[in-house]
Amino acid sequence: MSLIRLIILSLFIFTQTQADTIYNLIKIPNLEIYDIKTSNKLRYLYAKQPFTLGVEKNINCYNSKKKILDQKYKIIKKNLNRYSQEFLKKINLKYIVLCEDLSISNINTAGIPDHVMKTLILDIKFNEDYFERVIHHEVFHIINDSFKQLFDEDVWSKFNVKEFEYAECSTCTDKLGLSTYIRTKGFFSEYSQSTASEDMAEVFSHLMIGVNLNNLDPILKRKIQFIKSNLLKIDQNFIL
Amino acid sequence: MIKKIRASNLEKIIFTFIVILAIFFFGSFFLIKDKCLFIKSYDPQKINFDNPRNIAILNVTCGNVIIELYPEISPEAVKRFKELVRSKAYDDIAFHRVIKDTLVQAGDLEFGKKENIDYGKIGTGKSGLGTINSEVDSPFNFDKGSVGFARTQKYNTEDSQFFIILRDEPLYETEYTPIGKVIYGLETLGTIKYLDKSQYVLRPDFINSLRMLVN
Repeated sequence: MSLIRLIILSLFIFTQTQADTIYNLIKIPNLEIYDIKTSNKLRYLYAKQPFTLGVEKNINCYNSKKKILDQKYKIIKKNLNRYSQEFLKKINLKYIVLCEDLSISNINTAGIPDHVMKTLILDIKFNEDYFERVIHHEVFHIINDSFKQLFDEDVWSKFNVKEFEYAECSTCTDKLGLSTYIRTKGFFSEYSQSTASEDMAEVFSHLMIGVNLNNLDPILKRKIQFIKSNLLKIDQNFIL
Repeated sequence: MIKKIRASNLEKIIFTFIVILAIFFFGSFFLIKDKCLFIKSYDPQKINFDNPRNIAILNVTCGNVIIELYPEISPEAVKRFKELVRSKAYDDIAFHRVIKDTLVQAGDLEFGKKENIDYGKIGTGKSGLGTINSEVDSPFNFDKGSVGFARTQKYNTEDSQFFIILRDEPLYETEYTPIGKVIYGLETLGTIKYLDKSQYVLRPDFINSLRMLVN
């Protein structure tokens, strides 16, 4: 064995394991603090190296260039600052992980919410056109997961016309378009038609970015009312 | 007639070198082995405290660690901590989780007791007093020396285990219930036994005693 190989090997043998506080807290490796001095106590973390997650190691995300991170952080923070500390505590969201090319089983995704670990992983390069809306969309999944009893999918599905059926899962369909319909027929976008929870998330995210509520169809109006009333049950001070 | 042989200068130098080497060898054998050698021991009786009723004295092998408790920040947690301290429940309890230069954790009253330590379950034991609610809403800087109650992944599961951090951990704010801060003797905790490859310590160090300054 060459001397260099021996030295490298000895480094591995004698280097102590370092405590990774972030990993201990949210079980995601290779993260560092981006910003934790925020008004609503959200903690922003970023990937300093690519990371892999999941029992089957099927979740992947990659580190970004600092310039992109800085640009996107401003947008993300501006949008997430709309949620109060109290509301975030109720829905169990505390950590925002910033990385790029996020995927589950090689399918790209905008975000991965995990209300148990109080974490939302966000792909900061996902769909430039709808980036801000997507942030709120993913936040809704945290809300939904934390308050499943409020956002009952059976109740929600009954808002739709009888003939309509959602797909089995959001990736089991090719209805992935995020463009907002000019003439709505119960849905804000094509992606709304994938599953009930995605439909709710689309309604919520459209409300959060201030979509024009005039000329909406009656089904969508009822869906909006459902989302609004349930949000107020979570937090009476929540402002859409 | 025996001719007297005088040592050359080189031989004298070698001999002196060997003597010095021997002194260092035996000296280091005894001195370096004493991990408490350079640790200052604090006598709480010789220190004036603003609020002696909130001072706890953690005694470990290398001396005293003096902790100021903050009941105004975490009233329930401090009340529980004092209750356990006053019942001497923490005596002979292991520092079962130690991360070098990061934190020491102790307080498993069920599986961390010196005479019946259970390595398979240590860290999961209970006090028998039940869990208390997390008190994480007050602003608190988890800087070096902060003491907090440990919990499971869920909030409101604090019981008896506590940790002391050996470096600043800003992310602990709103995660863990603070109890107080070490005001003297933090360096003593740097001598607590740790393992390089594991946070959980086999044949760990133990708390000698944990007492309130004023009972």
